Amino acid sequence: MKAFFLRLKQKLDFGYLVALLISLGVALLIGTVILTVTGFDTGKALGALIGGSFSSRQYFGNMLEYAMVLCLCGLACDVGSRAGIFNVGGEGQLILGALFAAQIGVWLKDASPWIAIPCAALGAVLVGGFYAFIPGVLKVKLKVNEVITTIMLNSVAVFICGYFSKGPWKNPSPRVVSDTSPLDRSFMFSKLIPSSNLSTAIIVSAVLTFLVWYILQKTTKGYEMRLTGDNPRFARFAGIKADRIVIVAMVISGMMCGLVGMFRVYGAAGKYQSSISNDYYFEGLMVAMIAQYQPIPTIIISLIFAILRWGAIFMEDTVGVPIQIYWIIQTAVIFCMAGEKGVRAAIHKARETRAAKREIEKRREGGAVRE
Amino acid sequence: MNENSWSNILTVASSTLNQMLRSATPVALAALGGLMTEHAGIMNIGMDGMILMGAFTAAAVSTALMSAALGIVASVIFGILVGLFFALFTVKLRSDEFIIGCALNTFAMGITVYLSRSLFDSAGISNAPHLHNISIPLIRNIPFLGSVVSGHSLFVYLTWAFVILMWLFVYRTPVGFWIRASGESPETLRTAGRNPERMKWIASILCGVFCGLAGAHLSLGNLNGQFGQRMVAGRGYIAFACVIFGGANPVKVFAAALMFGFFDAIGLQLQSSKLVDPDLTSAIPYVITIIMMVYVVVSGQRRRERIAKQQLKKLELK
Amino acid sequence: MTDEIRFEHISMEFPGVLANDDISLSIKNGEVFALVGENGAGKSTLMNILYGINTPTAGSLYVRGEKITDFSPKAAIDRGIGMVHQHFMLVPSFTVAQNIVLGREPKNAGVLFDNRKAEKLTRELVKEYGLEVDPSAEVRDISVGLQQRVEILKTLYRGADILILDEPTAVLTPQETDELFDVIRRIVREKEMTVIIITHKLYEVMAISDRVGVMRQGKLIGVENTKDVDEKKLASMMVGRPVLFDHLEKTGEPGEVAIEVDDLFVADNRGLPAVRGVSLQVKKGEVLGIAAIEGNGQSELLEAITGMRKINRGHVTVCGKDATDKTPGEIRALGLSHVPEDRLSTGVDKVASVTDNLLVGRQKEKRFNLFGFHQRRSTVERYAKELYQKFDIRGAGIHTEVGSMSGGNMQKVVVAREFSFDTPVLVISQPTRGVDIGAMEFFHTRIIEQRNAGAAILLSSADLDEVFRLSDRIITLYEGKITGEFKASEITKEEIGLYMTGTGEGAKA
Repeated sequence: MKAFFLRLKQKLDFGYLVALLISLGVALLIGTVILTVTGFDTGKALGALIGGSFSSRQYFGNMLEYAMVLCLCGLACDVGSRAGIFNVGGEGQLILGALFAAQIGVWLKDASPWIAIPCAALGAVLVGGFYAFIPGVLKVKLKVNEVITTIMLNSVAVFICGYFSKGPWKNPSPRVVSDTSPLDRSFMFSKLIPSSNLSTAIIVSAVLTFLVWYILQKTTKGYEMRLTGDNPRFARFAGIKADRIVIVAMVISGMMCGLVGMFRVYGAAGKYQSSISNDYYFEGLMVAMIAQYQPIPTIIISLIFAILRWGAIFMEDTVGVPIQIYWIIQTAVIFCMAGEKGVRAAIHKARETRAAKREIEKRREGGAVRE
Repeated sequence: MNENSWSNILTVASSTLNQMLRSATPVALAALGGLMTEHAGIMNIGMDGMILMGAFTAAAVSTALMSAALGIVASVIFGILVGLFFALFTVKLRSDEFIIGCALNTFAMGITVYLSRSLFDSAGISNAPHLHNISIPLIRNIPFLGSVVSGHSLFVYLTWAFVILMWLFVYRTPVGFWIRASGESPETLRTAGRNPERMKWIASILCGVFCGLAGAHLSLGNLNGQFGQRMVAGRGYIAFACVIFGGANPVKVFAAALMFGFFDAIGLQLQSSKLVDPDLTSAIPYVITIIMMVYVVVSGQRRRERIAKQQLKKLELK
Repeated sequence: MTDEIRFEHISMEFPGVLANDDISLSIKNGEVFALVGENGAGKSTLMNILYGINTPTAGSLYVRGEKITDFSPKAAIDRGIGMVHQHFMLVPSFTVAQNIVLGREPKNAGVLFDNRKAEKLTRELVKEYGLEVDPSAEVRDISVGLQQRVEILKTLYRGADILILDEPTAVLTPQETDELFDVIRRIVREKEMTVIIITHKLYEVMAISDRVGVMRQGKLIGVENTKDVDEKKLASMMVGRPVLFDHLEKTGEPGEVAIEVDDLFVADNRGLPAVRGVSLQVKKGEVLGIAAIEGNGQSELLEAITGMRKINRGHVTVCGKDATDKTPGEIRALGLSHVPEDRLSTGVDKVASVTDNLLVGRQKEKRFNLFGFHQRRSTVERYAKELYQKFDIRGAGIHTEVGSMSGGNMQKVVVAREFSFDTPVLVISQPTRGVDIGAMEFFHTRIIEQRNAGAAILLSSADLDEVFRLSDRIITLYEGKITGEFKASEITKEEIGLYMTGTGEGAKA
């Protein structure tokens, strides 16, 4: 029994949990202040913000779909970071995946969904993977900073998607400016909650989430990835093929992002449109960062953010508070979590210096006695 | 070729170049700030948000006080605050500069639109008192040059001055040297008796100011007194690319901004001509930036190898 | 001569390390004072206190009789203290002149940096001290020797009259060293400067210094007039840890050759040749010890053999198979294990658990994998626990984060993992660095156990006693070349010390 609690203590980082709770508290406090200052009924607004996602089946469904997107994006980031490469290019991989998946659906419009959907998924995965492969190779072979290249590639992806969705792959209807043709209804994932965004894609996502968690935490490959990410020199020293692991992790991360794009199209939007992702990957990435690249916290924080987001939408509908309060509260959590590390480190250092001083003084006194 | 088509080409060329200056200015302003943090060794991808907040502050204050000038002043002051905030996290608390940049972008989206909606009951602002285009006497009458250079808003011209001033600041003042040293080799600066952290604070504040100005220019200059949620349109990232591309040298960074402006202008021209899709031309600068990065890394490796080889030869001679 | 600098009971503690332990020392005006000691003896830490980079945890420092309370480089510079750091403090993209004036730039009209004046001032300094260097060259383009001149000029520009040189000759060729010494003599004679030089090359101490202080393990062992001592005496003060250990029983005869190195050339991180034509053989059942002072190519040699560093020329054979330019993983597969020099950067994953650190290298073994991919955590943990007990690792159990353990226990994790492979070849570097004396015996016993069981062991250590105790044969390396090979039983520590410092017979060849 004692051993069990010891294990539990090792697995749960209480300091982290406390920091997360405090951050959430501070963020909600900031939100409250802003709500009060801008003259809203604070109590009602906060109630709506927190409870809104559970106010109806539709909101609940939308909330879950949003959590799914955040979680998959966050996990994609986890996979890269676990091996020591930081995939900031998920947004580009996501929209390219969405674009290609949508267009494959258009090309195969006469085929059976059993062929079209896997093909679309495959296309999205390949495109996303390839788009992550480029910065991965550049990092490993030439030591080019992957953060900057992926940021650049994000912009390139936006333009590629713009070109195809306004040009060759545009919906031929003259009223449409920049969308692909809508998919055949039979290609869409079936809705789990009618008239919400929640589709069977979440089941696939759940399986995928489990798989990522399983691979990262429970397999030998995940173990090798972890060592590579922690200390690539040590990994190489120990005989792990670190370079290859980094590239593969990056490609898998890109594949996941591509798949998220496909889910957005086949689960919710039904076509490629420029609003297919509103910097969702960046949000997922921030989730991953404050989850410290651990899968389970990533899931939990995705849920928290999704609840707040659809709560904010509900709040806008019912209390009239602008939905943007969501970004403010969300980033307040992130700022707190990012700053918390520095604060904790400063406290720790001060404590250690004091201890060292005491120790030496004690020795000095001991020495004096000897003299 | 007859005279008519010549004058056609001239018209297209001058309007393209005019548009190039127009498009390049907000990017160049922000990039002038971004190169400060880059020199100080802080990767700043939060410029998008800094610009947006600057744009909102300028538009909001300008509307409230009915004065574009006060709007600009407010955006500068707010820029200082944003810079302080950024430095608090990245320098003082040693948070990940990337997460702070990301969060700053999202935060800007939230706070500006939230305030806009609760203060002005609309997600955007329009008809704020704005800057008028300046028609330069004499120059405006020069045939080709006049139509390219004249008739821009104040900041287009100010930017040219800023580029020169910034170049002087970075490469010709002690503080400029210290800021560069604080990024490249902070311990060296420390042993020279100067505090590298303080330099990073200064760089961060300057970045905030320039991004604020870029925002003010966008809302009060380029868009004639408007603010909208999507108005920055990734210019912060473009500015970041310019900083990388230009090696954080103000003149080269400005050249990079002009290149982006040029491709933007070409894109706008092509939109009407339907020859090549403007989206493809817009992507070119980013691709070039990546190629440049690879080139810089590879040539750096070559350089090190060459120096090592020289040293080896010297040893062998002895 | 008066006391220029006085340290009184100075102690400096970094988290977990007592780098300086109650040091009291006076340095006189106008002398060249040499501070010698092994790596990690605390010399640089002490000098960093003088230069204001470190604030001492306890004790006081007096400069010209004035007690120092504000520890900062700026205050030190104002007091006329200049320091040339071991790792140069230069901004690579700045020019020589710009680096020299950094922090106190000449100005034009009170605002702008006056580059012309900076270069003029530099040229004047160059002329005054005879330290030839081009003021307008970018620092990243000039050689290390010239970079060091820039460092010295920098301190002179700031008006230093106390000059600290931290391992100034580590990166210099013999000619450059001679030139440096000329400069030091000149500035002491003509400008009446006080020079403190940190080194571990003893002949340099003899050549340049008036007095010498010897440090060991954070303590000041003694201060002598240079003319009253010789290199042998200094060497024994420097390395002379009393041997407290029992005799180690070595059994068996050397067998076939297991490591063969043939005419090896390897470059260091800067691309300079660190290993220059080394050939050696290690037989099964013997320990070949490398005795060398830090920075003479031993690290690069071992890294090249184990695949961690690129080989420029020459061959390495492990267990009869070619191991030249293979990856570390491939070389391990040939039958080699490796205890690396720097366990924190290379030997462990600091943030991973003891279990994860003990497993690596075996993670693909069948017993730890279900269906070839699922890690059988319980088996892994059982295995880890076994090693944990067998190697007497002491900590909070196998789930402890390795980075939080003491140096000795962390090293036990490394040794437990590497020795558990039972490979015919072991490459061991600094087995007991940062390990307390009590645990040292443990590692030595284990190493000899492996030897007696027939392993071929290549050992490198900065601790000469250790090399003597464990080795059957010893080679000395100096500036990347083998300067001597001896049977451990047929040579004394003092003699070896001469070969290590490049003064032994034949060493100059």
